Amino acid sequence: MTDMLETPVDAELAGAIAAAAGGPIDQGPAPPRRYKRRGRVTIWLAVAWLVFLVFSAVGASWLPYVKHSCSQYDNALQCSTYNKGTPLKIERPPVWAVWAHSTTHLPGAPERAGWMGTDRNGYDIFSRVIYGARISLTIGVLSITFGLLIGGTLGLLSGYHRGWVDRVTDNTMNIMLAFPALLLAIFVVTFFNSPDSTDEVTARKIWPIILALALLSIPPLTRLVRANTLSYAQRDFVLAARSVGANDRRIVFREILPNVVPSMISFALTGLALLIVAEGALAYLGLSVQAPTPTWGKMIYAGKDRLQDAWWIALMPAFVLFLTILSINLLGDVVAERFNIRDKIE
Amino acid sequence: MTRPRSAGHLQGEGRPQTGTLLEVTDLRTSFQTALGTVRAVDGVTFSLDRGRALGIVGESGSGKTILSRSVMGLLPRRNVEREGSVRFQGQELTTMSLKERREIWGAEMAMIFQDPMTSLNPVMKIGKQIAEPLRIHLDLTRSAAMGTALRLLDDVGIPEPDKRVDQYPHELSGGMRQRVMIAMALACGPTLLFADEPTTALDVTVQAQILDLIEAQRRDRNMSVILVTHDLGVVASHTDEIIVMYAGQIVERAPTAVLFREMRMPYTEALLESIPRLENPSHTPLRVIPGRPPDLINPPVGCRFSPRCPYVQDDCRESAPPLVEAETPGHVYACWHPVGSPVWAEIKARQAAPHAASAEPAASTSPPAATAIPSASATDGAR
Repeated sequence: MTDMLETPVDAELAGAIAAAAGGPIDQGPAPPRRYKRRGRVTIWLAVAWLVFLVFSAVGASWLPYVKHSCSQYDNALQCSTYNKGTPLKIERPPVWAVWAHSTTHLPGAPERAGWMGTDRNGYDIFSRVIYGARISLTIGVLSITFGLLIGGTLGLLSGYHRGWVDRVTDNTMNIMLAFPALLLAIFVVTFFNSPDSTDEVTARKIWPIILALALLSIPPLTRLVRANTLSYAQRDFVLAARSVGANDRRIVFREILPNVVPSMISFALTGLALLIVAEGALAYLGLSVQAPTPTWGKMIYAGKDRLQDAWWIALMPAFVLFLTILSINLLGDVVAERFNIRDKIE
Repeated sequence: MTRPRSAGHLQGEGRPQTGTLLEVTDLRTSFQTALGTVRAVDGVTFSLDRGRALGIVGESGSGKTILSRSVMGLLPRRNVEREGSVRFQGQELTTMSLKERREIWGAEMAMIFQDPMTSLNPVMKIGKQIAEPLRIHLDLTRSAAMGTALRLLDDVGIPEPDKRVDQYPHELSGGMRQRVMIAMALACGPTLLFADEPTTALDVTVQAQILDLIEAQRRDRNMSVILVTHDLGVVASHTDEIIVMYAGQIVERAPTAVLFREMRMPYTEALLESIPRLENPSHTPLRVIPGRPPDLINPPVGCRFSPRCPYVQDDCRESAPPLVEAETPGHVYACWHPVGSPVWAEIKARQAAPHAASAEPAASTSPPAATAIPSASATDGAR
């Protein structure tokens, strides 16, 4: 009862048989298209960068190439570069920037210092970037994860169930979107930072920032997931799943969710970058983690007034942020390609 | 064939009898839309015995798909109204809760869909999809379900099933995907299988294989099959009985052989004539049914086929014909001037005339005579 023509998936072979037989043939799947594989080297570079970054951030306190423990309040000065025991509070360009000069000339002090130069306090920017990765990546990853969990769930539910769930969610999201984003973040952060606390370090907790940023990411994620869910919920395979007795939970999480995940991933990766920068905006207003503790956003904001004279202060952390986001996006594409097994020929 | 029940939907009291699997009585399904209420199924009554195959035939928009989904209860949640009674194995389905119906779906009744390209989840492996109903209803472990899935794939004639279970739908051809759908539908051994145009999206060589497969599985499992299609050729060889639907209503119902031999409804005749014939020379224009399927929001008054019927008479436009018994038991139809009646013969002859003797002047005198006939003789013939 099995038909010979259907056996091989090799469509080329089947096509050849059909041509030879001169007869009609079951329309086999299209021959596997040659995927334009992204350069393997690029992907490995991306992996290498992320591994290096996370490894350095975790082990910053012990690693020889990270100068000093800048994250520690009392040791903040150790971050600076020294000239015979005296901290050099000079903005010095990176060692490779041979055309650039430090903003203040001190006799006997080297003109350039560090892989990324030093900031106005003479702190080594590379070390601060590594320490800053701790906070920035934690805030970015955690807030987008919460956003994904909450926004994704809301989007799935409202897109699948429609009705009053959808109306309530949609209106809530509209209100949240209409609210000025920065104002919302400021409100949340100040609300959760206890004003009674005299100790400034504990007063600046990290989780209100995560919460505020997660709140910002929820409405667009909900919208995206809802729209995707709406279109998948109409598909025949959902009806087929219903027809074998699958309940709503099974349909939403096993049938629809895997189809929505690729677009969620790519959106979340873009959102991650935005949130890391948004943390900087909060930091600029003094609403992020306490002062000497560096974050990327904070460093970029701190350096933006000095772009003319000391470009490296803002550009170096920005470059690191750029590299990181690029790497994450490259990896995200690989992941999305793995997930995205459906063929577009349908 | 052995069907003592008559069909008029006024006497639709379902009297359960041995061997009857499904009894549908005066089923009506309507959708609320912005334009008005669409009566997609409008008073359908039929029953189906165990192990038998029933064909539901009609063109697009005749309500055949909605009928099968209404029977199963697989309708959208919103803006749908369903009335009437569906008794399945003695249980009334229309009053069941969704939860109770889910117990039946997949386990007792299952459905195969039209387009195998879209009815499999593109991101789920074949094996997992077939295992789905097993895990839902039989509570099998992952490995046990996989074992059963392998056997099912083998049953539906998929070569190398152990390789296929780990493949994704896009790696299979259309025919193979439909086989996978069938395996999924058969997984829990349902007693009733709905096949909603199972071959429409497939090419002709595969069509026959899929239909034979469904038929073989029906015999093996003593399962009843409801085969929904627009193609009379498909049902001709694979069903015991055929229902012809038009505008949400049954217009003719008969055992398959009887229907093809002595059809009464002009719509059935038109459907049959629209099948291209092998013996025709190439480039013979296809016979089509003129006009469009009726608007189900405001269906035509009288017989719903009247605007498109070549034999239409005045009385057809005034009152709707009821379903009446033909000579052969089990054959019912709804028509005032059925195939074989004097009016039909008259118009048929006139249609043939222009080809034979187009110059004959006498042809112009017959129309007035024809309009005089219906009230007297034709209605006699019909009743």
